[in-house]
Amino acid sequence: MSDIWTEGFILGALVSTVRIATPLLLAALGELVAESSGILNLSIEGTMTLGAFTGFLVAFETENLWLGVLAAAAGGAAMALIMAFMAATVKINQVVAGLALNILGIGLAFFWFRSSFQGGSSLDIPNVKTFQFVEIPLLSSIPWVGEILFTQHWLTYFAVLMVPVLWLFLNKTRYGLELRSIGHNPEAVDMRGINVVPRQYAAVVFGGIMAGLAGAFLSLASTGLFFPQVAAGRGWIALALVIFGGWRSSWIFIGALFFGLIDATQLSLQATDIDLPYQLLLALPFVLTIIALVLNRDRSRSPLSLAIPYHRGER
Amino acid sequence: MSAPTRPPDGPPEPARSPRSSLMQPGGWRLQKRLYTSPLRELAAVILGVIASLAITAVLVTVSGAGVGESFRALYDGAFGNKDSALETLVSATPLILTGLAAAFAFRAGIWNIGGEGQFFAGAMGAWWFADTFGGIRPVPLLFVGIFLTAALAGAAWASIASVLKARYGTNEILTTVMLNFVILFILSYLLGGPWRSPDTFYFQTERMADNTFLPRIFSDSRLHWGFLIAVAIAVVVYLVLSRTSLGFDIRGLGINLTAAEYKGTNVGRLIVIVMALSGAIAGIAGAGELTGIHHQLQLDIAVDLGFIGIIIALVARLNPLAVVVTAIAFGGLINGATNVQVVTGIPAALVRVIQGVTLITVLVAAVAVRYRVVTGKRDE
Repeated sequence: MSDIWTEGFILGALVSTVRIATPLLLAALGELVAESSGILNLSIEGTMTLGAFTGFLVAFETENLWLGVLAAAAGGAAMALIMAFMAATVKINQVVAGLALNILGIGLAFFWFRSSFQGGSSLDIPNVKTFQFVEIPLLSSIPWVGEILFTQHWLTYFAVLMVPVLWLFLNKTRYGLELRSIGHNPEAVDMRGINVVPRQYAAVVFGGIMAGLAGAFLSLASTGLFFPQVAAGRGWIALALVIFGGWRSSWIFIGALFFGLIDATQLSLQATDIDLPYQLLLALPFVLTIIALVLNRDRSRSPLSLAIPYHRGER
Repeated sequence: MSAPTRPPDGPPEPARSPRSSLMQPGGWRLQKRLYTSPLRELAAVILGVIASLAITAVLVTVSGAGVGESFRALYDGAFGNKDSALETLVSATPLILTGLAAAFAFRAGIWNIGGEGQFFAGAMGAWWFADTFGGIRPVPLLFVGIFLTAALAGAAWASIASVLKARYGTNEILTTVMLNFVILFILSYLLGGPWRSPDTFYFQTERMADNTFLPRIFSDSRLHWGFLIAVAIAVVVYLVLSRTSLGFDIRGLGINLTAAEYKGTNVGRLIVIVMALSGAIAGIAGAGELTGIHHQLQLDIAVDLGFIGIIIALVARLNPLAVVVTAIAFGGLINGATNVQVVTGIPAALVRVIQGVTLITVLVAAVAVRYRVVTGKRDE
C-alpha cells in the first residue's frame, strides 16, 4: 500500500489532473456565460458529443486537426443555435429544451458516425493522430512544475487563459455586465433599450462553441477516436461545476482541477495492483459530484432569472 | 382624395395598450391563448410528427436511399404483419413504464432524469429476489415478490435524489443523472464478481430458473404479461393524477410551487412521494424486462430506455394514456429502424435522430398552437 505513492505515481497523477480538467473547464466556462444571460443550457453532454464527432470527422477526412477543431466549434455552435431558438425565441421550458437537444446531439453523432464509418472491421477502428503536447519554452524545463503545467495541449492553455478573460469580461466590461443584468432582470435591461434576445443568442452560442471545443479535446487531443459515449458524463459534471463554483470562473477552475485530481488518482490507482474494484473507482467522480452539490448549497450568486423565459410585455 | 382624417375636435384617440405597440408591420401580432384545448395539443403533436417525418425524409435522401422505400421498410418492420406488430408491443412494454415514470414526476415539476438508473435498480432487485427466494410457491406469490422488490429498489434509488432535493434543495436533474452512472458501475462490479455466472467470461449472471419467466400472452410471440401490467399501471397513473387528492397536489406543485406552499402542501414530503412512485414504476420496467425477455442480468438490458421514456413522456404531453400510444409508436420506430437498416443499409441509429427531432418539433409546435394571429382590425 505505502509503496504506491511513489514520485512517479504522484507526478503522473498530477500531469493527468490538468489534462482531465480541460474538457470540464472548457464546457463549464461556456455554460457560465450562457447561464449568466439567464439561459440554462442542459444540452452540454450532447453538444460535447456532437462536437467531438464533427471534429473527428473533419480531422479524419482532411487529415488536418485544426480544421477538425473548427468543425467541432461549428457543431457546438449549431447545437447552441437550436437551443437559443427554443429558449429565447420560442420560450420553451429550458429544462425540456436542453434535455431534447441532448438526445438529438448524441443521436445525431451516433447516426452520423455509423453512416460515415460503416463496414470497417472491428480491428480497424478509425482514428486520427492527436495533437502533440506543446512545451512552453523555459517554463517546461522546470522540474515537476514544468511537466505538470507547461507540457500540455494548446486547448488546455486556452481553457486556463479563458478563466481570467471571462472574469474580466463578466465583471469589468460593459457588455459582460449587461449580459449578467439580463440574467438577473431581463425586463430592466430591455427597458434600457438593450435587445435581450440577440444577446442571449450570443451567450448561448459562445457556450456551445466552448462545449464543442471540449468535445474536440476529447476526440482530437485526448484519444484520437470517436465513440458515442465519448463524453462519459463530463457534460453533466460541467453543469454541476457551474453551480459548485457559484457562477465564478475562478471557482469553476478550482472545481475542475479538483475533479481532474480525483479522476487522475482513480485512473492511476487502477494501474497499480491495489485491491479495490475498479468500477467503484470509476463511480467516484459521480458520487463526488453529488456530495459537492449537497455541500455547496449557496445559490446566492445564481442569476436570478436563470431558466425563466423572458416574455416581453407580459407581466 | 386623401384618406379620411379625424376631425380636430373629434374624440381623442384611445390610449394605445402596451400590447398593441407590439403590432408587427402589416397589422398583425401574436396573442397568447389563455387556454389550449386538448384538441390543439393533439394537433401540435401531429404537426410535430409531420415536421419530424419531413426532416427524416431529408436525412434518408442524404444517406442515399429512397424515401418511399425507407418509410415502407420502417412501417413493415413496425406493424407490417402480426409478428412485427406483436414485437413492437414487446419493445413498447418497458417504454410505456419508463415514459410513465418520467411523466408522473414531470407533472409535479420534478425532473427525474434517472429512469435509466431506476430501471437497473429494479432489475437488480428483481434478480436478487428471484435468486434468493426462487423457491417461493405458489408461483404468483413469487412474481409479486419479484415485482415488489423491483419497485422498492427503483423507489429507493430515486429517493437518494428526492431526499437530497427535499432536505437541501439539491438539483435533482444533476443528481439523478449522476446516479444513472453510479448504478451502472455498481452493476458492473456485481456482474464482474459476486453475481457473475461461473461458466462465462461475460459480465452476466446465470440464467434464471424457468419458473421465474414472466408468462407469455400468446404461445408464438415474445409478448409477455409485462405489457398488460404496463397498460394497467398507465390507467392507474391516469386515475391517480386526475381523480385523487394526491394527483391534485401533484399537478398543483407542477404548476406553481409557491401556490402549493401557501395552500399548505408539504412540498418536501410530496417530492419524496412522487419520486418514490416514479422510481418504482421505472423499477417495475426493469423487473418486466428481466423476467419477461432477458432472463439474466446484463449491462445492456436497457439501452437508453430511461432516456427514451423521457422523450415519450414529453411527446405525449405528460398524459399517461397518451404515453401508452406514444410508447407503442416509438417501439414501432425502434423495430422499424432495424428493418430499414436491413433493407436500405441506413444505420438503425437513425431512430435516435428521429426521436430527438420529433421531440423538438413537437415541443415547438406545442408552443405554436398556444398563440393565435391577431390582425389589426380584431385588436381590442
